[in-house]
Amino acid sequence: MPPKGKAATKPKATETPATTTSNPTTTNTTSQTASQPSEPTTVLERSQQRYEKTRPFEAARQQKGLSKLPKEDQKGWICDQLLHLTNRLPAASRSSLLGPKASKEIWWTVNGTNSIVRGLKHKPKPHTTWGTDRNGHDVGSYTIERFDERFRKRIALTALQVSSRVFRENVEREKRGFVDARSGREIIVTEREIDEEKVRRSKMAALKKDLYGAITGKLAESVEWEDVVPIPHEEPEGALAAIIYPAEYAEAMSYLRAVMTTKEYSPRCLRLTEHIIAMNPAHYTVWLYRAANIFALGISIPDEIEWLNEVALANLKNYQIWHHRHLLVEHYYPTISSDPDALAQFAKQERGFLIAILSEDTKNYHVWSYRSWLVGKLGMWEDEEELKSIEKMIDEDVRNNSAWSHRFVLVFSNPKYATPGKAATEKDEKVPQELVEREVKYAQNKVYLAPQNQSPWNYMRGVLVKGGQPLASVQEFVEEFVNKLGEGEEEEEVKSTHALDLLAEIYAEKKENEKADLCLRRLAEKWDKIRGGYWEWRRKCLTQSETEKAPGEQVEKAEEGIAAA
Amino acid sequence: MQPNPIQASTHRTTHKTLKFSNMTQSFTSLPQELQLATSAHVKYIQSLDSRKDEYDYWLTEHLRLNGLYWGLTALHLLGHPEALPRAETIDFVLSCQHENGGFGAAPGHDAHMLSTVSAVQILAMVDAFDDLETRGRGKAQVGKYIASLQNRQTGTFAGDEWGEEDTRFLYGAFNALSLLGLLHLVDVDKAVDHIAACANFDGGYGVSPGAESHSGQIFTCVAALTIAGRKELIDVDRLGRWLSERQIAGGGLNGRPEKKEDVCYSWWVLSSLEMIGKTHWIDKAKLTSFILSSQDTDKGGISDRPGDMVDVWHTCFGIAGLSLLDYPGLEPVDEVYCMPKSTIKRVLGR
Repeated sequence: MPPKGKAATKPKATETPATTTSNPTTTNTTSQTASQPSEPTTVLERSQQRYEKTRPFEAARQQKGLSKLPKEDQKGWICDQLLHLTNRLPAASRSSLLGPKASKEIWWTVNGTNSIVRGLKHKPKPHTTWGTDRNGHDVGSYTIERFDERFRKRIALTALQVSSRVFRENVEREKRGFVDARSGREIIVTEREIDEEKVRRSKMAALKKDLYGAITGKLAESVEWEDVVPIPHEEPEGALAAIIYPAEYAEAMSYLRAVMTTKEYSPRCLRLTEHIIAMNPAHYTVWLYRAANIFALGISIPDEIEWLNEVALANLKNYQIWHHRHLLVEHYYPTISSDPDALAQFAKQERGFLIAILSEDTKNYHVWSYRSWLVGKLGMWEDEEELKSIEKMIDEDVRNNSAWSHRFVLVFSNPKYATPGKAATEKDEKVPQELVEREVKYAQNKVYLAPQNQSPWNYMRGVLVKGGQPLASVQEFVEEFVNKLGEGEEEEEVKSTHALDLLAEIYAEKKENEKADLCLRRLAEKWDKIRGGYWEWRRKCLTQSETEKAPGEQVEKAEEGIAAA
Repeated sequence: MQPNPIQASTHRTTHKTLKFSNMTQSFTSLPQELQLATSAHVKYIQSLDSRKDEYDYWLTEHLRLNGLYWGLTALHLLGHPEALPRAETIDFVLSCQHENGGFGAAPGHDAHMLSTVSAVQILAMVDAFDDLETRGRGKAQVGKYIASLQNRQTGTFAGDEWGEEDTRFLYGAFNALSLLGLLHLVDVDKAVDHIAACANFDGGYGVSPGAESHSGQIFTCVAALTIAGRKELIDVDRLGRWLSERQIAGGGLNGRPEKKEDVCYSWWVLSSLEMIGKTHWIDKAKLTSFILSSQDTDKGGISDRPGDMVDVWHTCFGIAGLSLLDYPGLEPVDEVYCMPKSTIKRVLGR
């Protein structure tokens, strides 16, 4: 601080942003500085020029060296240094640094040399002075127009942030039931204010992205989630299998954690689960929580099922979807169980969707397991449409094992014909023989379409066992597929290895072991070599006595029992 | 062991949509002698946890602990158990444990049966049950969690508190509890009755009573019955026949009639056959050839069939299958637990 009373030169103001003249305002008697600086193109250049202007002797000193400068300039430079040094000191200590006499001396020199008292403290540097923008470029390298534009944006952002803070404070005040001091009324946040805030937030997010490349999460930005503090994912330090999440998913999960902790069930939580499911449908926790929301909010189950249908079609290999559906139906069933029309209607809707999704993936295991469960749950055994639908699927692809499996369930788990507790592999007296014959005929008709297709052969066997019929009852049919066995390579005709296999079993059942052995031998030698080990074992079984057979052959024992009866 | 091919297919499909196969060999131009590319597979498994920047890595976070089990099992069978760092493995597994004793698929994920079973299997393989006692919640708590998932009326097991029931969970429970020596905590007989109810007209087993026979579910049912000592309930001949029919002309095995062959069924079908003593009912040489031609001998890993993208699931089960087929240079695998026989011997004393 110059002592009072002295005629101190008015400190030369640093140039305002408006003026871009490069002519130095000081007319110094010093030796010319290096070449006149050119018009600054960037803010860095401009600031550097300003910096140099406040240190008029420094450029000369750098150029020539202090000892080479004229005495006046040397003094000037030293004064400059002292000035800048003392300017950094707190006011109180400044006067004590130099005695009054030394101070006078300095100020007399300063006046004579027209030093600039105030100046830029630090030399402007690239990157550090203004930082970098969202693309990593030094803001100092901006042109002055561009810099001004950036500056305006920052001001705009700050203004928005101030208004937003006011809004948030009002929300908090409303929550706490504050009363406005002037009007005496309770503070309420109006719809209009909320809408304004929403607009403000999207503007803020856009500006932040533009200026700093910062992406504001949709949820953090939204007014709806204002009151929730998200719980970010915690990975243990140096985790063996650490996960890096995309930002949107990470944000959604952090909000999910927060609301699951507080056990909140609300429309916004429901929307959140939908949002997460869209990003990661296999996340089992989020499905759990969604179901909890559905039940807690009393959402219409048919509506939820409609939504679920879309998700199912988009995610064919997903377990969680079908378990969710299972839960929904379990929840819904008591509300319609006493109303046969509602039940029928629901069954029809379900079947409609199942047919649609199966057309995308005809053998989808989840869908078929669900379908078999549904038959039992809704009591669809007598539903003609269900049987027709399965027949249609088999017509379209006779090799669809899932459809065959479902038919068996549909026909034989019908309480009309099924003794409770009987296994699928057990004979059941309750099954009428007409039904057995009908099903055997059905299977046989389908065998003709593709004799090497395994499903109808398995089906036919299963039906015969269920109905307690000996395998020999279909011998004529089976023999249609095997011709001239053992009469030479050229002569032999086997249209189906399954027929040959079954024929062997039939012969064994009738104790015609030689014929059985021939069938098995030809299978091992030629017709189904890959299962050679199995056919050889069957041949061995023929020669072994009954007691040496492997345990658990309830079926064959039952057949023998019937054959003997 | 998590025989959930359908869920893993999501994993697989995601790989496929984001990458394309690097296989330079086509199936038709196979060299006479195929080798097991051991070191490539080891490197592939080691690289898995460093792929954190890949999109599908986070999509499969709900399989993280299971994935670790598949990778570790493969490494053990390949004879390189040290390839994954033991201390970090234990730390990671324990970090997935909850207060109730159960493990989630990754830190912060809810506890679930499948990840709990994987956790127990991993800890058994790296011999870290002591760590479970001292630094984790202890064996008893884990056993309690698993036992809490049994429905005492029906004998079935749920996957989590939400109650999805599946014979996989039943097998998982038996697997983990027997390794912990805590099988007595559950009603084994009721569970066995449930399995029996899942037996189908064609000799196979489904996910629930009446559901279609499926190789994966068959494995879980047969293995569970084996652990429970109730194999006499199996119709061995009928089941064996159904299983042997899984082999198709190319040598690979499928999961159900008229479906495509898939390397993972080399495990489930084969181990089921092993458990009922009928592995000679398929052509072993052809199956070996099929598995070997599904490798990526360059980058490592095995896929579901030749020419497709690899993943750790198929790598694990392909190698386990080869071990069961007595492929030279591999550690013997236990057909019930899908873990090295040496581990089972150490833990169960047999």
